[in-house]
Amino acid sequence: METAVNILFSGFSMGAIYALVALGFVLIFKSTGILNFAQGELCMVGAYICYYFATELEVPYLLALASAIVLGCVMGALIDLLIFRKLVGEPVHATILVTVGLASILVSLTGLIWGHDTHSIKSPFIGKTVTINGMIFSQALLATIGVSIVLFFLFIVFFKRSLLGIALMGTAEDSDTAGLMGINVKKMRMLAWILGAFVASVAGIFLAEQSFVHTGMSHIGIKAMSAAILGGMQSISGVVVGGILVGLIESLAATFLTDLALGNFHFGDTKDVTAFVIMILVLMIRPHGIFGTKEVERV
Amino acid sequence: MYRKFKVSYREDMALLQNRWQKSWLMILVLSLIIIPLFLGRYQLSILNEISIVLIGALGLNLLIGYTGQLSLAHGAFVAIGAYSSGLLTAKLALPFLISLPLSGLIAAGLGLIIGIPSLRLKGLYLALGTLAFGFLVQYIIQHWDLTQGDLGMAVKRITIGPWTIKSQLQYFYFLTSFAFLSVVVTNNFVRSKIGRSFIAIRDRDIAAEAMGIPIAKYKIIAFALSAFYAGIAGCLAAHFNRWIVPSSFGISLTISAIAVIIVGGLGTVLGTVLGAILITGIPHVIVFIADMLQDSYPALSGLMAEIKLGIFGLVIIVTMLFEPKGLVGIYQRIKVYWKTWPFKY
Repeated sequence: METAVNILFSGFSMGAIYALVALGFVLIFKSTGILNFAQGELCMVGAYICYYFATELEVPYLLALASAIVLGCVMGALIDLLIFRKLVGEPVHATILVTVGLASILVSLTGLIWGHDTHSIKSPFIGKTVTINGMIFSQALLATIGVSIVLFFLFIVFFKRSLLGIALMGTAEDSDTAGLMGINVKKMRMLAWILGAFVASVAGIFLAEQSFVHTGMSHIGIKAMSAAILGGMQSISGVVVGGILVGLIESLAATFLTDLALGNFHFGDTKDVTAFVIMILVLMIRPHGIFGTKEVERV
Repeated sequence: MYRKFKVSYREDMALLQNRWQKSWLMILVLSLIIIPLFLGRYQLSILNEISIVLIGALGLNLLIGYTGQLSLAHGAFVAIGAYSSGLLTAKLALPFLISLPLSGLIAAGLGLIIGIPSLRLKGLYLALGTLAFGFLVQYIIQHWDLTQGDLGMAVKRITIGPWTIKSQLQYFYFLTSFAFLSVVVTNNFVRSKIGRSFIAIRDRDIAAEAMGIPIAKYKIIAFALSAFYAGIAGCLAAHFNRWIVPSSFGISLTISAIAVIIVGGLGTVLGTVLGAILITGIPHVIVFIADMLQDSYPALSGLMAEIKLGIFGLVIIVTMLFEPKGLVGIYQRIKVYWKTWPFKY
């Protein structure tokens, strides 16, 4: 019973982070047509900025969190302004390769500034737990789940009720028509990048609460891509379902497969590869994901 | 300038169109034979590195530049080639001359398997799938006793019959002849029926299929061929460095290979050669500058690994933004400028 609750709990909290990162992918992908391979690196930079304010400058935690998120958003806007605004309409491979290049620049800059040691953010959650029915939960994980639920709710309201959200959806649907309807498409693309960087910073900071701040964190981006693919790269609900599924499967694999040996093959830490296996399987069986629709292409 | 008209298909198809090209090629070959005799070990090792990178990047260019299939698993295929040859020569005591083609073929076999899902996937989905495959391969190498995981594996020297390749100069002649051979083979290959089909698939796959090109067959051929080049490059790199660890075949290797073909120019053989020289040269130039600045900034040489990957990323972005045709594009502009001077065009 206790193992089952533990698996569910860690699966959900990891799944919430995957869902947040995957939401960033989908937002940017739908409105600009660019698959951002640097999403995990944006998470990493957000976590590092938060670490810098909270631990090195000893700013109060909430202020550090807010400034990390704001700086993350500014970074998203700058990336759009300096690079991707000029690449609108380029073929898919060109934009993907540019994001891959952007990812390696971000990693190397972070390594230059903060080095490759692991750090931890000085936060009010460290080491604190909540006991429910005799079972112990860490506060950081509970906060992760809570904040993501609130964020997803806000995003759904934003896209369903606000004018700006609907304009963004319109741009994602058909940018030419949206432009003719009086929507400023350039601004909407920039907004998508800002929102993508925003969710990435939040996810990065909460990921750092669960483990540490280090440059290897950027792996989360590629893992979260399997969540986005599983959900279908289309909708918020798809992202949530995909993220939680990937988180749960990973948590199951980590509990039952880790340190098993098959002949002279040792599984070791399966946490690193479960998401990739899921991604390959989804791409082979149902490339458009659970909620996605098949793309029809014309000559 | 006096120009002869071409009167036969044979002349029109010739790899070297005129006497100028033939004489330049002769000068290049002669200088490749003579100049190394006067170079030190360090310079020779850079040239050897360039040869290996060139072979690997040619394979990637066939796949990305000519066929338009975006693969992020190139590092994995290089790893497969390196480990196949390392294991074949160490455990089965096979001679190098057999293990070299075998490592290429093993990589090509796995490339075939990756090629099959590529029939359903396009663009970014293919990129994601191959990326996941690359991480899986690295994970398997890390966790398999046979490959000794992160400890790394020692690889034997190259022995061909009674000769053993020992000095950098011997490596130079061996590797450069391989690189030269693969450039010629690739150059001929892309002009063949298969190469032209690759280009048609890149430009518009649906239209290519409508014209009667079996896309499935040629996509799989492209994947297998690219993996074959990567396997050969991996095998040569393993025997050249004589020590292989899984971490050296990660995503950073793929990124540097992509940087090579983008900087040089996608879909050109000449571009790959120029790109391989530039991208392999950049880190050494940085090391050179870092050594000069050693007194004022002692920490600089320790940060090499960081700077290297960042600069590759920057090079990719700047090329894509300002010169999508790469070095070949610049070369062609300069050529046209001098040919038509003093007129604009």
